[in-house]
Amino acid sequence: MFRDNFNLAYKNIKERMSRSILTLLGIAIGIMAIISLMGIGEGMNVAVEGELSSLSDTIIVNVGEGFSIFSPGQLEDTGEYLTERDITDIERIPGVKEVNTQLTGMASLSFNGDENSVFLTVTGMDIESMNLQYGLADLSEGTLLKIGDQSKIIIGYDVAHDYFDNDISVGSRVKINGKKFFVNGIFSREGFGGVSTNDDLVLLTSRDFQKATGESNIFVATVSVYDVNEVEAVALEIERVVNENHGKEDFASATSMSSILDSIQSIMGILQTVLIAIASIALVVASIGIMNTMLTSVMERTREIGIMKAIGATNKDIMSIFIIEGLLLSLIGGLSGIISGILGSQGVAALLSNMGPGGGGIPLEPVITYMAIALGLSVSMIVGVISSLYPAWKAARMSPIEAVRYE
Amino acid sequence: MEVEERQEERMNNEVIVTKDLSKTYGKGDLQVHALRKTNITIRQGDYIAIKGPSGSGKSTLMNLIGCLDKPTTGKLYIDNTDVYTLSENNLAKIRREKIGFIFQKYNLIPTLTALENVALSMGFAGVDSKTRIKKAKKLLEMVELSHRISHKPSELSGGEQQRVAISRALGNDPTIILGDEPTGNVDTKSGNKIMEILENINNQGETVIVVTHDPDIAKRARRILSIEDGIVREENV
Repeated sequence: MFRDNFNLAYKNIKERMSRSILTLLGIAIGIMAIISLMGIGEGMNVAVEGELSSLSDTIIVNVGEGFSIFSPGQLEDTGEYLTERDITDIERIPGVKEVNTQLTGMASLSFNGDENSVFLTVTGMDIESMNLQYGLADLSEGTLLKIGDQSKIIIGYDVAHDYFDNDISVGSRVKINGKKFFVNGIFSREGFGGVSTNDDLVLLTSRDFQKATGESNIFVATVSVYDVNEVEAVALEIERVVNENHGKEDFASATSMSSILDSIQSIMGILQTVLIAIASIALVVASIGIMNTMLTSVMERTREIGIMKAIGATNKDIMSIFIIEGLLLSLIGGLSGIISGILGSQGVAALLSNMGPGGGGIPLEPVITYMAIALGLSVSMIVGVISSLYPAWKAARMSPIEAVRYE
Repeated sequence: MEVEERQEERMNNEVIVTKDLSKTYGKGDLQVHALRKTNITIRQGDYIAIKGPSGSGKSTLMNLIGCLDKPTTGKLYIDNTDVYTLSENNLAKIRREKIGFIFQKYNLIPTLTALENVALSMGFAGVDSKTRIKKAKKLLEMVELSHRISHKPSELSGGEQQRVAISRALGNDPTIILGDEPTGNVDTKSGNKIMEILENINNQGETVIVVTHDPDIAKRARRILSIEDGIVREENV
C-alpha cells in the first residue's frame, strides 16, 4: 500500500513539475544555508584547533592584562618589562622546557641616508618564537628569518612603502640606531581590517635587537612545557613567581594557548549558532511554502480525493498520500540543499581565503560532518511532514459526496 | 437446470434493503425533501434502472446506496449490515469490497494510466501488486482495452474512459455495481457498448443498478424504480 501511495504522490509531484521545483527550492535554500554555515564553522574550528593545538604546550607571559584573542600579537606596551631574573625564575619552575623572549623598544630607522629617519617600535625575538608567531603571516616579498641569520630584519608593509620617499624592498639596506641591517622580508598589507596589524612592524632577532638598542626589554616570554596536562598549573606558577619578583599582585599574566583555544571555540560556537538560527528562518518560510502548495494541491484534487474515497480509500490512505507528497518534496529539496550546501561552503571558503586586502585571508577548508548531513536530512523530513500534516488532514476529512460533486 | 437453481438462490439473497430511508436538505421553509421514506429491497443478481427527471432525487438515492452520503433518517442494509452505524473506516471497506462505482464523468485519476486506475481500488483493498496488475489487465481485456493500458485518461475517448471506469469498478469483485448515468457523457454507440458490458456482468450474477434519465436505457433493465419528488415507485416491466 505504501508503494501505491508513494506512486500517487510521486506522479502528482511530476504532474505539477514547475510548482514542485519552486516549492522544494525553498527547502533547498534553507538546508543549503545551514549545511554551508555548519561546514564553514566546523572548518574554522578545525583550522584554529590545528593551528593552536600544536601550541597547546605553550604559555605566553606578558606584563599587564592577559594575552587574549581580541589582541593576538598586539600587546599594550606598558613601559614595564619582564627582567632577566624573571626569565631565570621561570626556567627553574618544574615542568618548564624552554623560555623564549620577545623584546621591544623604540629605535630610529633610516633609509637612503641619515636625514630621513623615523622613530618607531622594534621587536626582537628568537627565531622559534618568530616562526610561532608569524609563521602564518603572508609576506609580500622575501622570507622570515632562519636560525643563524644576522643583521637581517623583516618589516611591515607600511614601513616599506609609506615611511620613506622611496619604497624599501627585499635586499635594501636600512639603519636601526645607526647599525646596518638588510631587509629579508616584507609583510603583506593588512590594512585596518585586522585587529592586529603587522603593517608597522620591524622584526629582528633578540641578539640583533640588543646590538641595535643596547636594551633588553622583555615584552613577552613564550614558555613551553614538557607535559601538556600541566600547562595550566605551570601558567599559574609563572604568574605567581613573576608577580612576587615585582612585588605586585597582577604585574604579569601567563596565558596558556589551550585557554585561548577554548575561548575562541566558545565564541565561534555562539557565532555559528546565531548564523544557523538565522538560516533556520529560511526553513520556516520554506515550510509555509510547502503547506501552501499542498493546500492548493488538496483543493485542486478535491474531486480526485472524492473518487479515491468512493472507490474505497480510507482517511488514512488519503492522509498518507499527501504526507508522502510533502515528505518527498522536502526530501528532494533537502538532498539538493545538502549537495549545494557542500559546494556552497567550498565557494565561501575559497572566497574567505582570498578576501584579505593583500590577497591573503583565512586559509579555510570547510568540513562537512555526517552529523551535518544527518541533521539536514532529518530537518527537511520533519519540515515536510509537519507542513503537509494540516493539508493532508483537510484532504482526509473531505466528505466523498461533496468531493465527487466538486467541479 | 443447476445454473437456474443457483440463479434463483442468488435472487433470494437480499443485498440491499432500505428502511424508511430519507434525505432532506436545508431547514425550515427552504427544506427540500430529496428522498422521502423509501423502502426498497434489491436482491443479488437484480438489474435495476432508477429513472426520473433531473432533481427528482435519483442521484441522492444512488449516493445513499453507494455509502457516499448519509441519510437524514432511515436505515440501509447491505448484505445484512446496517451500514450507517459503521465507522468511517468500515464504511470505506464496504465501498471498497461491496460496491463498484461508475460515474457519469468517468472520474478516473488523471495522473494515472488506465492500468493504474483499474489497479488503484484493489490497492486500497490491500491486494498485492502482482495480482492486481494481472487482474487489471484481464479486466481491461474484458472491456476490449488491452491496447490502451498505458494511456492516461486524457489520451482516451469518453467511451474508452467509461470502460476503464467499469473495469475499475469490478476490481474488488463487488456485489453491487452502481452506475450513475454511465452513458450520459458518451455517444449512442459507445453507450450501447457500455450497457452491453454491464448486462454481461449482470448475467454473471452481479447486481447492477443504473441511474438514468434515458427511457431507452431504463427499458433494458429487469426492474425499473422511478422517482419523482423524492418518492420511489416500482414500475411494472
